[in-house]
Amino acid sequence: MEKLIEQLKAQIIEALNFEDMTPADIDTDAPLFGEGLGLDSIDALELIMLMDREYGIKLSDPKAGKAVFQSVRTMAEYIQANRTK
Amino acid sequence: MQVIHDIEITTTSVLLDGKTIAVEQTGDKLLVELYRRYAGDYPKFFKMDTLSRLGFIAAELLLKQSAISDQQLVDAVILANRSASIKNDTDYLATITEGNYYPSPALFVYTLPNIVTGEIAIRHHIQGETSFYILNSPEQLKPIVASTLTAKHSTALVGWCECSKQDNFYAKMQLIWRN
Repeated sequence: MEKLIEQLKAQIIEALNFEDMTPADIDTDAPLFGEGLGLDSIDALELIMLMDREYGIKLSDPKAGKAVFQSVRTMAEYIQANRTK
Repeated sequence: MQVIHDIEITTTSVLLDGKTIAVEQTGDKLLVELYRRYAGDYPKFFKMDTLSRLGFIAAELLLKQSAISDQQLVDAVILANRSASIKNDTDYLATITEGNYYPSPALFVYTLPNIVTGEIAIRHHIQGETSFYILNSPEQLKPIVASTLTAKHSTALVGWCECSKQDNFYAKMQLIWRN
């Protein structure tokens, strides 16, 4: 799981173009939206694309998305349970 | 119309009110260098396409030259170029090519050239007119500015903001006042 979390942080930095950030700067349990990383709705779409592109997960239920995108850890847990590639 | 401040940014140089600003980088990296030196507190810059970065940085430098009261009085942002948002459009197209169908939402939001005027307005709390024109030459912008900025004692950010492909851009913008 820890390896997946580090990989996911690197992918988030690349997908969202956080040029000044390293994986160490992202708190695994911090909220992704609002406080924490402070992502917006466009970023949410990028994360949905990332999960499809990298892990073969199609996230179509908005209610599920709210729980999945709580933090990097919740994302990683969902990916581990649902990945198809 | 009175020009209060003017700036010219090429891929290798920056000229602010006729004085050269020494820079180390060229091309797209030049805009990042200017951001780090003169802004640095607006991480959304890194999400912008090159056209928006160019206009954002030019506006940043122009308004930093002014007193704070001047910034509060900017009534309009009127920009133009010849190539619209073609560089970002091309980048976006690359994300939806056959066999690689992962359209990027972050690129999609910049597939309109007038987004740069919005980015400037948001940054500087400008609530007046914002518009972006596709023209053949900067000369064609002058009558448009004159007809838009009709009120006396109004101030506007105006100029040419062009980015046709990677590492290929040019901006000549002014902060003007209608006396």
